[in-house]
Amino acid sequence: MLLQETMELQEKLRILSDAAKYDVACTSSGVTRGGKKDGLGNTFASGICHSFSADGRCISLLKILFTNQCIQDCKYCINRRSNDVVRTAFTPEEVCTLTMEFYRRNYIEGLFLSSGILHSPNYTMELIYQTLYRLRNECHFNGYIHVKAIPGADAGLVEQVGFLADRMSVNLELPTAAGLAALAPGKTREKILAPMRQVQRGIAAQNVRYLESGEKGYGLRQGTSSRIGMANSVSHPGRNVWLPESGRTGRNFVPAGQSTQMIVGATPENDYQMIRVAEALYQNYDLKRVFYSAFVRINDDSALPVLAGGPPLLREHRLYQADWLLRFYGFRAEELLSEKKPNFNVLLDPKCDWALRHLEQFPVEINRADYHTLLRVPGLGVNSARRIVAARRGAVLNFADLKKLGVVLKRALYFITCSGRTMYPIRLDENYITSQLIGTEHQKSWELEHHASYRQLSLFDDYHIAAPVTSADRESVRTGTL
Amino acid sequence: MTIFLCGEEVEEIWCGIYDAWMSRLGHEQVRLEPAGCNLDLFCEYRQVITTPEKAAKVTDSIRTRLSESCYEQIYKAALSQDPFRGDKIYRFLILAFALGNGVQNRLQLPAVYEIFQMNRNLTREYDHMRGFTRFFQMQEGILLGKIGPKNDIITLLAAHFADRMPQENWILYDCGRKKAAVHQAGRGWVLVRADSALWEERLSRETDEAVFETLWKTFHSSIAIAQRRNPRCQMNMLPLRFRPYMVEFEGTPENRAKISE
Repeated sequence: MLLQETMELQEKLRILSDAAKYDVACTSSGVTRGGKKDGLGNTFASGICHSFSADGRCISLLKILFTNQCIQDCKYCINRRSNDVVRTAFTPEEVCTLTMEFYRRNYIEGLFLSSGILHSPNYTMELIYQTLYRLRNECHFNGYIHVKAIPGADAGLVEQVGFLADRMSVNLELPTAAGLAALAPGKTREKILAPMRQVQRGIAAQNVRYLESGEKGYGLRQGTSSRIGMANSVSHPGRNVWLPESGRTGRNFVPAGQSTQMIVGATPENDYQMIRVAEALYQNYDLKRVFYSAFVRINDDSALPVLAGGPPLLREHRLYQADWLLRFYGFRAEELLSEKKPNFNVLLDPKCDWALRHLEQFPVEINRADYHTLLRVPGLGVNSARRIVAARRGAVLNFADLKKLGVVLKRALYFITCSGRTMYPIRLDENYITSQLIGTEHQKSWELEHHASYRQLSLFDDYHIAAPVTSADRESVRTGTL
Repeated sequence: MTIFLCGEEVEEIWCGIYDAWMSRLGHEQVRLEPAGCNLDLFCEYRQVITTPEKAAKVTDSIRTRLSESCYEQIYKAALSQDPFRGDKIYRFLILAFALGNGVQNRLQLPAVYEIFQMNRNLTREYDHMRGFTRFFQMQEGILLGKIGPKNDIITLLAAHFADRMPQENWILYDCGRKKAAVHQAGRGWVLVRADSALWEERLSRETDEAVFETLWKTFHSSIAIAQRRNPRCQMNMLPLRFRPYMVEFEGTPENRAKISE
């Protein structure tokens, strides 16, 4: 394939950002690092959004591919080998210039560098390493860098890159091995999980070192770190056991943790399978985030499904809601869904759905219940639960106070009492509460599903008036006595 | 009722609080108001005189008798867009000195809630502005960022950018309040009044920033997925009021509002 290297920077940027846009991980979160006297940049654990694109997604990082040339032929991917698209590649200098100049003008929070596989995984990883090395050591860039670990690249290379980046990610793409085999012929589960395990162990080993050396704070001190190169890293490919022994450059190994992403709706997996996989990744691989990306049919391939109504945005939304419940609210995947009920309710968010199936645990008394019980009430979040716990030390709270604390009463009022009383007389009955909640929720899910189309309300279609018109009806219309 | 008239700046508010408190008229008999408000009948008006000593006394007693985090909250409230923030801080301080540290958690109390609300509003805008501020390069590599925040957050923002870009010369200019934070590479930053004609002339000078601005606009448009287009969501996340200052929205139809200068 012809790689066009002599192309204008603008055209390259257009092609290589266009090719990277289906990757959803654009957060700059996970690590707080102050500025350096001679460098440019700092990072914040909360992440900073710098702009929002026309699809409403945050632009935080300069999200680009190093090259859109690829030896893989994944069916869902725009850059697959068999697609006839213009192929190009940045040079490390170009990536550095773009990052530095954009960062100075506060356009971006850092760099997100992914890549198609040029020649071989190692060759590509080496290019990424060179770029990052130049950016960190020659340009003295101290901002956020998110980089892809290329599955199949040498452990030593992944290690070197890990010491330069803040976050690394390997995309799982599809939650089951069967799905992967169907749509991504060149990838296997093992190949994807190997670098993920390596990064996890690298981070864990680093934490152990901190504990042993009794050092507080972040960043290895110069001097305590011995130089460990590629040759010294212990690699057992069979068991994926590999530990980096120390930082090469006095930097931390992947301080912002790792993430991954899964495509929603390209293969027939259900929601239960998706969140089970996500939960397993959080528990077994210490991932910071799992991202979900609604499938967009870019390639016209018979192996890909045709989804009526465009990308499954509502399903993606529900998965993110469940993901938050797993990470911050102490829920387990089996609580939210089961083999018998494998998909999320379209009309209700997962938390309301769970609460309605467990009405025996409600109502919850706001002035007594512990923090973890409060977190499980629909309409209460981490912030409002914390505020309640802090505020009730000084006084007894009532419903007006709760509104001030940021509780969403239109959902919460069915599940809580203040000093033993509900806000209104409420029947604790599943059908009653469901119909009340759906009234407010229905509108939202409708907007998500049909965000671009509006339609005239029709008396006959929407209210199912099917009875034939009789002569008596005609008479009454004529005389105006309906 | 005695009404103390104080200015908009943080120091002027501290002095207003000091004067009202030390007047010994009783908390119910005094009120703080910004100058230029409607006049009330049967009220005595007193102009607050600002001195650094009075301000220092107020901040010292907040920091020692309450806590550093409480001081931070009150300081942010003093930067808020609320015109009656002086009086609201005064009411809060009465409660805080009576109930002690920890009072900021008791949001059910109206005085505490006011402070919390001002803080939330300001913090959200600050979080937005950290990302939405745009710099462009003038002659000699000086970066100029124009902002138009509702709350007076230029000091907070300048501290943020001073940590982020210590080796750059940059100016952060608040178009509404005519204030500028000026940073020199390798040194610190200072806050200056920038309402003279010299500033107007200096800031309006055009630059040849076309290269990176075009690149950024290219990136901004190509990163969006057409099948997911959702202007409503974009508007929720990035309200229109920020867009006149952002280069990627230059010339878009919804961005007709001009920068107020």
